[in-house]
Amino acid sequence: MAVTEMKARDNHTPEPVEPLPDNAFRQPKRNLLSRTTKSRILVSNSPALQALTAAALVLPGLMLSPLAAAEDDEVGLQYSHYQEGKRNLFSDVPNNRNPIEVDSIHGGARMTLYDRVKFAFNYTQDTWSGATPVTTAPKVFVGNQPISFAGSVSGASPMILRQGGQVFVDKNFNPAQFVSTDPDTGIQVFSKDAQLVHTLSVASPETRKQGDFKLSYEWDEAALDVGGGISVEKDYESRFVNLGSRWDFNQKLTSLNLGLSYTNSDTNALIDHDAQTYIDKNAYLNSGQLKIIPTGTFLQSNRQDWATNLGLTQILTKDALIQASIGYTRGTGYMANPYKVMEVLFVDPNQVLDCGDFFCDGRPADILQADLKAFLEKRPDVRNQWSLSTRYVQYLSFLDAALHFDYRYSHDDWGINAHTFEADWVQPVGNDWTVTPRLRYYSQDAADFYQPYLVINQPAAGATDYQKLPASYSSDQRLSGYGALSGGISISKQFAKGVSLETGFEYYTHAGNLKLGGGGEGNYADFNYYVANAALKVNLSALGYGGGAGDHSHHEHHHGVPVPAGVMFGHMMDKPGEIMVGYRYMYSTQAGNMLRGSDSVADQTIVNQGCGVAVVDKCFLTPNNMNMHMHMLDIMYAPTDWLNLMLMPQFVDMNMTMRRLDGAPPDAAAGDKGLHIEHHVDAGHTTGGVGDTGMYALFKLFDTPGHRVNMTLGVTAPTGDVGIMLRRNHTVDGGFIHYGMQLGSGTWDFKPSLTYTGQIDQWSWGAQFSGTKRLQDKNSSGFAFGDILQSTAWGSYSLFNWLSASVRGVYTVQGAVKGEFNGLIEKLGPMDYTNNYGGKYWDVGFGVNAFVPSGDLAGNNLSFEWLQPVVTDVNGYQLDRNGALSVNWSYAF
Amino acid sequence: MNKREQALSLLLLVLSVCASGCAPVAAWERGNLAKPQMALDPYPMLNEMRGHNYSSREAVAGGSSSGGGGCGCY
Repeated sequence: MAVTEMKARDNHTPEPVEPLPDNAFRQPKRNLLSRTTKSRILVSNSPALQALTAAALVLPGLMLSPLAAAEDDEVGLQYSHYQEGKRNLFSDVPNNRNPIEVDSIHGGARMTLYDRVKFAFNYTQDTWSGATPVTTAPKVFVGNQPISFAGSVSGASPMILRQGGQVFVDKNFNPAQFVSTDPDTGIQVFSKDAQLVHTLSVASPETRKQGDFKLSYEWDEAALDVGGGISVEKDYESRFVNLGSRWDFNQKLTSLNLGLSYTNSDTNALIDHDAQTYIDKNAYLNSGQLKIIPTGTFLQSNRQDWATNLGLTQILTKDALIQASIGYTRGTGYMANPYKVMEVLFVDPNQVLDCGDFFCDGRPADILQADLKAFLEKRPDVRNQWSLSTRYVQYLSFLDAALHFDYRYSHDDWGINAHTFEADWVQPVGNDWTVTPRLRYYSQDAADFYQPYLVINQPAAGATDYQKLPASYSSDQRLSGYGALSGGISISKQFAKGVSLETGFEYYTHAGNLKLGGGGEGNYADFNYYVANAALKVNLSALGYGGGAGDHSHHEHHHGVPVPAGVMFGHMMDKPGEIMVGYRYMYSTQAGNMLRGSDSVADQTIVNQGCGVAVVDKCFLTPNNMNMHMHMLDIMYAPTDWLNLMLMPQFVDMNMTMRRLDGAPPDAAAGDKGLHIEHHVDAGHTTGGVGDTGMYALFKLFDTPGHRVNMTLGVTAPTGDVGIMLRRNHTVDGGFIHYGMQLGSGTWDFKPSLTYTGQIDQWSWGAQFSGTKRLQDKNSSGFAFGDILQSTAWGSYSLFNWLSASVRGVYTVQGAVKGEFNGLIEKLGPMDYTNNYGGKYWDVGFGVNAFVPSGDLAGNNLSFEWLQPVVTDVNGYQLDRNGALSVNWSYAF
Repeated sequence: MNKREQALSLLLLVLSVCASGCAPVAAWERGNLAKPQMALDPYPMLNEMRGHNYSSREAVAGGSSSGGGGCGCY
């Protein structure tokens, strides 16, 4: 057994029959290996065969089936940015609204809980905003009409409101446009243009958060897992459970997979405020799905999805494997999109020529008048979907590359057949770099009920018009016929001890004329997007295999003094060449009383003094609570023993709820912007995305046993967006969202700090002075946050060699906002005024710090700290603070 | 033969081909198959994100049986 174990751990030992692969980190846990090996060895008698079998069995692929081969203990973090290109509106109106963009982060961990029991959890968060199509109509009906603000065109309306809904078509219902009136005959001249065009609507930033988990058990030749999760957004909540199993047989050449899942989702969508009277909701009146309140209409409904999947994985040769699976998904309930509307043209084909050869209103005989109305789209409430997929993987030994081919066919009873082809070329290029180019092609038929717009061969009658519509109708481009071609590349680098970095880029183009067999949707619906991503993975299973036991003491050495989780730059690495990766999370929450200075203040005082003087400028709203989450990636490198370089990208998201102030004037007193108040109170505000990026250099100034001083000089680059605006509502522009909910400072900021740490026996302590100096007077949106000065001191006691507890005091001073938004801001509450920012704060922090000194997870450090506000003395009028949580995980290698 | 039967028969075809024709690959011959580039999904985290993007823009949902993913109503 000892021999086997040594081989399992030493990936450089030459093996007489077949060299061991260079990816020993993918080997399963040692205890599992030992047990399996033991059982196999019992059946083989010859010592030679025994050795051979033992050696072969340490090959990772043998222990687990191909499907499960990557199931090592692992922590992963990923960021991605999705950016759509602008749509072609075939219009002279400038399309100056930003298209949809999505920032996503994903963090996940998979770990062995006990022996064969594994647990995995994932957290995903997406924040999106931007303009997206809501409907389609002929261009001559003139959607996307310009909206002017302060003399300049600020956007385009999502509504098509031509001459009270009246439009023109010819006898064959082709759209026509009035050009001029012939001065001689008095007869009107019309042009015909069949060009279709989307109308767009803009979404304010919204965030989706998803958490899920999976618990699994491994047998020698089978596995079972159960999982579940929840995905939450303001207008949609989805809960799901799943069950998966795997059986290996035929000497593990074959695996059978069976999966089953159930998803239950609720929609609670506020139908577009901005187009409240424009969208006809009558078709839903008797559905029980509408909730009408004075200021808006909500669509509330449920859907359920059952999915099952049966797959077979087969090793074909020593260089190839294939997986084939069939899937069936059944969806029931509300499966439409509450933000998409269908344009319907009502035409009376028997319009009477009242003036001889032409109409008395001047139209020639072949031009008919029509009514154009917009209806919330409807889809069938059942969808059955079948799919067949195959994946083929071929090893190319002369390149050491793997070629992946995937094909998927899908068919459903909405009439959509789809084909997906994918090819990935995974090419290791030396020094643990891997480059993977990729190509994907997708093509689908249109759904049976898809139409860009509908023509109804009857005059419009009013409230009962919906009765003339088909049972289902949608103009969502996702249900049209089209093809999509995408290509991309991903690059990964495997560092020592299981740490790997990954980055990728993909460009995607959707076009009607890319549809397989032709006949796709017109080019007005074409669009493209790109996605860029970056990921960090730490393979925890590999940590124990990467080096001998002697390596672990090295981690103990560099760990140094425990520093509370909320303190940055408190720790430097000593060994040249060392790298540390870490993740910091900070959550801060504000709620409770509104403060003036350090005293709570009555609503009436805020109304009168917190905002402007004129009635229209008074405070109408005040924040009720505000939460901020920051996710920071911490990458540190030590080129020498006295200098460490650090890069810190950040991802932030914030949400705020608001309430009306008691004693505030009625909403109408605020003028047009008063129309937003109801919506602010109902829905609150959300923002999220990439924050500012920090770049720092840490210098060791002083280092004797027990005492250390280091200095940090750095800047943050203004990568966080400071131009986030609220969407237009009730035909009133939203303007910039509050200063404090922008994602960054917008300015280049200088961030120096000086840190002292000391340690005797179990006791350690430290102090730090730090500052933030804005290097610019104002950012691209016209303002700059105030400078910050902070001093802190702490003491810590090691309860065990792996765990310490800390207490800390913090004093912070921050100035008010300088300058002001250089565009529209609808000021409704104290958070929209620059002098209500900044203040002086005292906090006390309580923390714990856990460090793994040895064993498989040596070098990992996890710490938590809660900061409890003690004294809050704000500038102007601000919401009280509840506290802040910091979590810090780091791993040095 | 409807689409479902077609799908099923294709799967059975793959199965029967392997039952008769797949050369047995001995345990010690599986070194290449164990390489990371040969994993069925070499980039699970990346592919999950891509899958989410595709499913928010295409009519055919993921097809996996894991669930989740949200509305993607933009």
